[in-house]
Amino acid sequence: MSAKILLIDDDQDFRASVRSLLEGHGYEVCEAASGHEGLRMIVEYKPDVVMVDIMMETSMEGYGVTHALKYLDEYAEYRQIPVFMVSSIEESPDERFPMSPEAEMIRPDRYLTKPLDIPKFLEVLERTVGVGKGTST
Amino acid sequence: MGEAAAPETVVVIDDDYAMRLSCCKILSKMGFGVEAFEDGTRGLEGVGRLKPGLIVVDLKMPGISGMEVISRVHEIDPQITIVVITGYATIDTAVEAMKCGAYDFLPKPFSPDELRLIVNRGLERRRLSLESQRCEVERAMLKRRFVTFVSHQLRTPLVAIHQYLDVLKHLGDTAEVAAKREEWIDRCLKRTDELQSLIADWLTLARVEGGTLTKERIKVDLKQLLPGILKTYEAMAAGEGVSLHAALSEAPLCVSGDWNCLTVLFDNLITNGIKYNRPGGKVTVSGWPAEGEVVVTVGDTGVGIPEQYRPFLFDEFFRIKDEGAKKTTGTGLGLHISKKIVAEMAGSLDFESQPGTGSTFRVRVPAWHEADVAKTGSSE
Repeated sequence: MSAKILLIDDDQDFRASVRSLLEGHGYEVCEAASGHEGLRMIVEYKPDVVMVDIMMETSMEGYGVTHALKYLDEYAEYRQIPVFMVSSIEESPDERFPMSPEAEMIRPDRYLTKPLDIPKFLEVLERTVGVGKGTST
Repeated sequence: MGEAAAPETVVVIDDDYAMRLSCCKILSKMGFGVEAFEDGTRGLEGVGRLKPGLIVVDLKMPGISGMEVISRVHEIDPQITIVVITGYATIDTAVEAMKCGAYDFLPKPFSPDELRLIVNRGLERRRLSLESQRCEVERAMLKRRFVTFVSHQLRTPLVAIHQYLDVLKHLGDTAEVAAKREEWIDRCLKRTDELQSLIADWLTLARVEGGTLTKERIKVDLKQLLPGILKTYEAMAAGEGVSLHAALSEAPLCVSGDWNCLTVLFDNLITNGIKYNRPGGKVTVSGWPAEGEVVVTVGDTGVGIPEQYRPFLFDEFFRIKDEGAKKTTGTGLGLHISKKIVAEMAGSLDFESQPGTGSTFRVRVPAWHEADVAKTGSSE
């Protein structure tokens, strides 16, 4: 069974290219265009990895998704799903809000910058989902 | 607003009992909360606790001097206005006190009117200074937010293009990629167009803000300008299944403005009318003269503007993202620019909207006066 990746990003072009990349490497992909839709799809599809953009309809939407997934009781059973925060903002939450207790609340498992460094991204993803799930070509 | 609801507090520091009493009487009649103290030490303690807007302090007191009170008060809060009371013989000291940061001085003896006047003036100055400080902070925040926003807006299409190209390169010559190549190239071209219009809009905005676009005032007859613009957008409207209509009054609609600027303004309003419309819909441009003004409305029969978005409609980069609204392209700067152009022309831009029925944008600008010729003629 191939690993399922949920892509939450409001840019349809970014989703289209990353979807092809991932499918080309044997992953299954589902997409959401907003944080709200993304949270709904987490429940519905139970992905193995969630990739989430930060600035969507609101400028902090990705932080909201991450926080919901990691801290809200409603999503307790999905808490272990690794979250990759993907943004063109160069700083991770810890760098953007240094010394802030809130940074802890929105800390993703991985922070990646856009555009994705493809080899590095695939390697991190493969390591995250475990050997044998993603079939490297 | 909340600040205005609470009465301003005034503190009086004077060792003379009669003086304290009369100041308190006059000031509390003016509606202020007043507290009086008989020496500097108690006065400073009171200032720290009460955070008054203004203090009246006698310069000559036993214990801590009035001069020291001034500097200590400003250590507590530099925005507190200080009025010093002084005898005729000590005008020099009063001047020195003002150098130390006191706002003004009242030579003894003074009338109740003099006290009222100086206190009102002092508090007014404080209000203005607080206001400008608040504006400054707000402006700095807006500027920071603007930079974050602009870079995000510029980066988003660039990232999309880069990612397409990089994935194309990475996946190489597979059948799947070949099927997608055409579509992706088209998308990349669309996104470069998006970048181009963002930069174009941004430049227009910079010119409007710098005043260069609106400096050149000439007589422009909107009855000539508007039909030309409508013609430009006929093809675009037809593509969306929308028809364009003009309903301009018989009389000329002359305004004083810049031809290019007015074109940008009506371009924005008309293309919005087309984009946020539906097949079979209409965009109607009406114009008529009204008491020294020219009014132009651009009405559409489109989706309307949901109530919750209305306050933000003219904000830079604001775009409606709604389930009901179809996906439209745009930079989110059009209406912001339009509002600025109209403001530069000393006019107004507002709108009415009915969700599901449509929106009407209304431009009011001063009509052209022959006297404007002299004005434009004299400005170099």
